[in-house]
Amino acid sequence: MGTFLALVTKELIGFFRSWGLVAIVLYSFTLDIYITGAGIEMQAKNIAVGYVDETGGGMSRKILSRLHMPEFQKPVPFLSREALSKSIYNREMMVGLIFGSDFEKNMKRYGHAEIDMLLDSVSATQSFQALQYLQNIVLDYSDIEIPVEVKIHKLFNPNATTSQFMAMAEMLSVITLLGVILTAAVFVREKENGTWDIMLLMPIDPRLIILAKSFSQVVVIMGGVVIATGIVLFGVFDVPINGSLAAFFLLSFFYAFTSSGIGLFVAAVSKSMLQVAQLSILIMMPLIFLSGAWTPIHAMHPLLQDLSLISPLRYYIEGSESIFFRGTGFTDLWSYFAGVIISGSVLYFYGFQKIGRLF
Amino acid sequence: MNAAVIKAYILKEFKELLRSRLILIVYILPTMIIILFGYGIRMEVTNARTLIIDNDGSKISRDLAVKFRHSKYFDTDIVTGMSEKEALKRIKQARTDILIIIPGGFEKRLLHGEKTEIGVFIDGAFPVRATTMENYVKGVIFNAADALLKQKPKNLITINSRNLFNQAMRDEDAIVPGLIGLILLVAPAILSALLIVKEKEEGTIFNFFSSPIKKSEFIVAKLVPPLLLHSVNIFILFLWATWLFEVPFRGSFMLYWAAAEIYILISLGVGILVSIIARTQIVAIVLTIIITIIPGFLYSGMLMPISSMSGESRIEAHIYPVMYFNHIIYDTFLIGQGLDSEKNRLYLAILVFYAIFLILLGSRLMKKEIS
Repeated sequence: MGTFLALVTKELIGFFRSWGLVAIVLYSFTLDIYITGAGIEMQAKNIAVGYVDETGGGMSRKILSRLHMPEFQKPVPFLSREALSKSIYNREMMVGLIFGSDFEKNMKRYGHAEIDMLLDSVSATQSFQALQYLQNIVLDYSDIEIPVEVKIHKLFNPNATTSQFMAMAEMLSVITLLGVILTAAVFVREKENGTWDIMLLMPIDPRLIILAKSFSQVVVIMGGVVIATGIVLFGVFDVPINGSLAAFFLLSFFYAFTSSGIGLFVAAVSKSMLQVAQLSILIMMPLIFLSGAWTPIHAMHPLLQDLSLISPLRYYIEGSESIFFRGTGFTDLWSYFAGVIISGSVLYFYGFQKIGRLF
Repeated sequence: MNAAVIKAYILKEFKELLRSRLILIVYILPTMIIILFGYGIRMEVTNARTLIIDNDGSKISRDLAVKFRHSKYFDTDIVTGMSEKEALKRIKQARTDILIIIPGGFEKRLLHGEKTEIGVFIDGAFPVRATTMENYVKGVIFNAADALLKQKPKNLITINSRNLFNQAMRDEDAIVPGLIGLILLVAPAILSALLIVKEKEEGTIFNFFSSPIKKSEFIVAKLVPPLLLHSVNIFILFLWATWLFEVPFRGSFMLYWAAAEIYILISLGVGILVSIIARTQIVAIVLTIIITIIPGFLYSGMLMPISSMSGESRIEAHIYPVMYFNHIIYDTFLIGQGLDSEKNRLYLAILVFYAIFLILLGSRLMKKEIS
């Protein structure tokens, strides 16, 4: 045990000495998560609207006055349909509304009128939402008596704030990325510097060395998780914690081992840091993007859904989502724990064997 | 500049690229990014797991439930008599996305013209999806209610919407062209930075310091291989976009190609700048990724339209070259105005300016001596 702790301490000292690495870890666990959370916004907001009004005011103005922040920018008047259409083709406006000259007349005579709308639908999600907003606005304006009232409750995140979710998902991706790269780096640096052979001459069980080295990086990652959760998630984005924080840290701990297992494998097959970087990118990208961080698993192509069953990140992300937002109880989390622990032990064991063969 | 020297140097670079496995990353990385992100980012919601608790069991309520069942957006389960608490627990366990509760006496009240309420609970853990699902649910219920109304309402305004450029509102059309802008910024920059930093790290840069080769020759020799290699990627990515993801191509291919080549030069310029700062290859890679991925995603117009940006993000978007390139790329794929539009001509000119500026700046800052 004493040897183990000594080895872990040695690695930690080594980590804190290389300030470049410390800076990257700190950046990733704070600023990177902040930028992603604050920057990636996929809800339609601040939509640019232009309009052509051939009616001479009145009703059209009343409708336009209902377009306001945060969904819409102040509507911009255009003199002709051509000018409006040109602006949409140049993607300066996303929505163009045209109130034809017979708009009010139709309304008064037939009780029914149409607004022509040009929609830049290049960004599919925002365009779809913009269309929905506008439909709700005119529906609200026309007094329709629908006897059914739909009461919608969005659970866990009633305002549908994207930043909280994005920040959490980014943190999980950072844990994965650094877990792999840091672990791989610890081993490959010794290979590159030639200190690996000195390690082998020491009268210590090589298995203990592997364990201690990877454990030291798990400690670094867990430190990062605590910083990111405390400062960025809770401090900046006010992410709710409806479940148990302890459960999250425990899950993260197991997951950190899993990713360091992948790191062991990467280290075993790489000769230089450059190969580590290449290989980590090639392994990480599928893992992160097919994990459900961007798109829930059950919405993916069936083949990808099957593939994601072997990804530990899938269980980790779903589990963390449940802990932070859904407030799932400890007993209902067992499937996520099982997923992380089982896929994790297989990966760690495989990496352990693979790198152990070098001894 | 001496053409023979440059040629010899370029040949050496190519040989080294082929021998080291670096060549793999040149072609695997871009294709992998476009396939993973192209398939991996889905904003459209299909098969939302919906649980309808029909406590009424009448004809109208059944008709409504069937409307959900027949929609590709929902994967519907209809039950009776499940308690609200139990159903909410299923959402907590992430087994259900939407819960719709139709109250008892629903039909009776409707026929008497009294107000009734349908309760809808949506799992909001995934915000964009939650908003989209909310709109779908509202749409289905209002449509059903509208069909039931005997008398057409007064003061009805309808929106006659024409979706331009992406009629079906496909995610592929929205995301994939933007990914080309991301990839062609990241990949050439990584490669050119690595080619220079590798020599620094391995010490072979001293050959350059001590040989009579000029700085300009060195830079040309370092930039030509990545330029040629990634020029092939322009076509590969085009193929993936149009063939695999079936994104339409409405504009001029020449414009696409020309803009992409200029854009690769910009990316190489970024690579030179990184290589000046970085001393080790790992730092070069991490630094390139940090400074290219964020603008490539956030300020490219791919996830968030530029017209919706405000304040600092609008200014930042105009600083990075990604926005200008993506405007042209989306135009060539989806809009097709080509060089007829003044905006495209202006943006192309801005790209040319960026390419010249970054490469000149990089060459100026690079030193041919031991510092």
